Amino acid sequence: MAEISQTSATLSADAAVPAARVTGSAAEASRRPQKTRRWVGYVAFLPFLLVIVGYELLPLAQLVLDSLIGKESGAFGLENFVKVFTTPLYQQSIINSVWISLVSAVVGIVVSFLAARFAYESSERVRNAFTMVLNMMSNFSGVPLAFAFMILMGNSGVLTILGQQWNIPFLADFDLYTGEGLLVLYIYFQIPLATLLLLPAFSGIKKSWREAAIILQATPLDYWFRIVIPNLMPSILGTLSVLFSNALAAYATAFAIVMNNYALLPLQITSKFKGDVQIDAATGGALAVVLIILMVVCTVINNYFTKRASKGREII
Amino acid sequence: MSSKTKAVKAAAPGKKTPLAAKIFLGIVGLYLLIPFLTTLIYSLFVEWTDVLPSGFTLRNYAELFTNSTFWFSIGRTLVLCLVSVAITIVLLLLAMYVVVAVNRRLGRFMQFVCMIPYALQGVILSIGIISLYTGTGTILSNRMFMLFGAYTILVLPYIYQGIRNALNAIDANMLIQAAEMLGCGRFRAYVQVVLPNIVSGILVSSLLAESIVFGDFVLANNIAGTNYQNIQVFLQANMARSSGLSSAIVVIIFLVVAAVTAVVLKLQHTSQKQ
Amino acid sequence: MAYIEFKDVVKRFGDNTVLDHISFGIQQGDLVTLLGPSGCGKSTLLRCLSGLETVTEGKIVLDGRDVTNVPASKRNIGMVFQQYSLFPNMTVEQNVAFGLKMKKVDPATIEKKVADAIAMVELSGKEKAYPANLSGGQQQRAALARSIVTEPSVLLLDEPLSAIDAKLRKALQSRIREIHQELGLTTIFVTHDQDEAMVMSDVIQLFHSGRIEQAGSPVEVYTSPVSEFAASFIGSYNQLSASDFTALTGVTVPAGNVVAIRPETIGISRERPDEKDAHLVDGTVVDSTPRGNVLRYTVRLEGGTTVFVDVLFRSFHMFDRGNKVYLSLPERDCLVIPVDAASARPAA
Repeated sequence: MAEISQTSATLSADAAVPAARVTGSAAEASRRPQKTRRWVGYVAFLPFLLVIVGYELLPLAQLVLDSLIGKESGAFGLENFVKVFTTPLYQQSIINSVWISLVSAVVGIVVSFLAARFAYESSERVRNAFTMVLNMMSNFSGVPLAFAFMILMGNSGVLTILGQQWNIPFLADFDLYTGEGLLVLYIYFQIPLATLLLLPAFSGIKKSWREAAIILQATPLDYWFRIVIPNLMPSILGTLSVLFSNALAAYATAFAIVMNNYALLPLQITSKFKGDVQIDAATGGALAVVLIILMVVCTVINNYFTKRASKGREII
Repeated sequence: MSSKTKAVKAAAPGKKTPLAAKIFLGIVGLYLLIPFLTTLIYSLFVEWTDVLPSGFTLRNYAELFTNSTFWFSIGRTLVLCLVSVAITIVLLLLAMYVVVAVNRRLGRFMQFVCMIPYALQGVILSIGIISLYTGTGTILSNRMFMLFGAYTILVLPYIYQGIRNALNAIDANMLIQAAEMLGCGRFRAYVQVVLPNIVSGILVSSLLAESIVFGDFVLANNIAGTNYQNIQVFLQANMARSSGLSSAIVVIIFLVVAAVTAVVLKLQHTSQKQ
Repeated sequence: MAYIEFKDVVKRFGDNTVLDHISFGIQQGDLVTLLGPSGCGKSTLLRCLSGLETVTEGKIVLDGRDVTNVPASKRNIGMVFQQYSLFPNMTVEQNVAFGLKMKKVDPATIEKKVADAIAMVELSGKEKAYPANLSGGQQQRAALARSIVTEPSVLLLDEPLSAIDAKLRKALQSRIREIHQELGLTTIFVTHDQDEAMVMSDVIQLFHSGRIEQAGSPVEVYTSPVSEFAASFIGSYNQLSASDFTALTGVTVPAGNVVAIRPETIGISRERPDEKDAHLVDGTVVDSTPRGNVLRYTVRLEGGTTVFVDVLFRSFHMFDRGNKVYLSLPERDCLVIPVDAASARPAA
């Protein structure tokens, strides 16, 4: 008994010193590499930071800077904005851009609300097939879409010629190369996007709401307007703002149809930096800042609604 | 509970799509398909001036496939897709390591800067880069440099979201701590434990990004223009010249993007099932 | 003539018969529980009465009126669902007022009735809250207020408490019982929880595979189960096979039956008791678990069968594992009931 305890005491005494040393050096060791590791860690962030600064933040800053240095005077100020808001071409561009974006967004949301509603009420097979079409056709935009519409409704388009032969003035006289023509195209590319965004919201509508409403003697109209639509409102408004900014920034579709011959913000902005005439960074910058502000307002509205949808009420 | 589930299940095969729904979805679906179908038919016939087209031909495709400019533009587009998406993935994976393992507070900053391109889209991005670098006389004013930079930013939101969702799904921080406890360095843990687990998540978002670069016209046209024609710019340049050839290009572009989309949907579907 | 009559009600979903010729009546003012395991058809019957499902065959009469083909909105019923079904875009107050608004009741009356209903379910102070900011229990209270405020002719409760934790559940059970008594409202309550059914009901209709297995007051159903299924679903009857029982007691039991004995009727003692009218068997205590105020012993009998014995939890008179004990099974509590073919199958 005594012997054993002695042995164990010796053992522990022997072990104590190296153990202490080991723990000491281990602590040190773990602290030191941690420091270097942290340092190395931040190094890993650098390439990302460089690219972000060089190709996202600085270009944005450059545009803002361009917009604030007067084209004529070279002085710092709002001269370019004054010019943008007083020149008829630029005024018209802003108005046209907002108008075409707003109308296409509203028409898009109405059609896609109905489409999402019907898809939601359909069997899974029909819904999957429809979603497949939406996914595929949401990629059909820009130059290819513009070309397809030219074939369809251009000056010698298939529908145009049919319209002439069958005497349908709406088709025969339809002019694709105008604001109305662009609107038709914009509505086209809004629909699949909007429906894909709205569909998930419908799955938040619970079956028991409908049943409770029926038992409480609500008519279908009451059910839709007092329960479904109010509950979907955050999603509807959020989608609307996505559609609006999507149309506002669309360039390829419009450019392929009307080149630079139409007063539209993205077309005007681009023509100031590129192309046949002298580069006019001052006016272009100011127009770009106007576009940015419109987009930011949209994003803020969208964030507000998505936050409200996720926080205030648990649904959707 | 399950009496109801059973009822719903039993009712499911009998769930009929209402007629109104069928009609409405049919019309919308047709409306969405018509422009592409018209282009497809147009590309396969000599003439279409009556109700029905006439003279079936594969001439447009034969002409396109023997056109070396077409192949060059396809090649350039592929280079742009692969290189820029690869750059973005590497940049983000490195940066996300810092967020996950070193300083989580950088996450908010990352999210903010990664979502900016989503809101701004191509026009602003391209002219900002042009305005900043044109005429600086450095290597940065090289059009190719600008183009790759721009694409890297364009696909940022998509790949960022893919990587972040994948990291959240596997609780990367916990994995790294567990590996550290077993005596593995943080960076090694990130590379050897975390990355293999998020590959499928990155794959889906990368494919999505590829299809976005493939479908881009704004950046390519504004920054490189005719100096480095991608497939979309090639199409735009040919539109006025030959509608037959252009219709074939549109069909090819659509089929490529549709194929990528189908793969993405398939991958998402399988990952949801799991 | 009962207030509510189900006459030969059959409900099929495709080839699946969920309700198989159900017939029974409910007296006005009663609180009736439809009790049974998941998938037995009890919820479906409730939904048929509400009009949310149509019956395949048969007839439903409500207050002398044949409502079989009357749409749900014209049946004047109140219903609380298992899932939270409050409208998330409306406050508690607006939810409760919804049914009255649909009935075009004048605003002053609505205001008064809504306030009364909210007070009745003890949600005063939460009138302006949105459902997302309420607990599950509060949501179901609000749903209850919403369904009674329209003064329905019958109140249907479809497992309303199944998603609520045990403590709150007890409180809500007694609140529902009180409201039922205050209003004298005919109420049908669906549950799979036999304790809940015992506590709440005037009458229990025990469901099994789309049929009614047994009906009666809670005491009747508890003390005299008519089948092996009823015995196993209600309480925790010990069930001894006919051959085991014969081997233990020497009493012959007709084949095709089992003997069911409730755990609390069995006496347990260290010395051989001198009891008349009881079968004496000896066994060994293999486990004891406290359950509230009751201590449950698991006793292994000769031949390896185990039975549960419940005794009141008292500090004296306790047995340890391995103790040899005598059990006395009172003759009148040894119920001989037929083997149920359906429940004889292994439980899924």
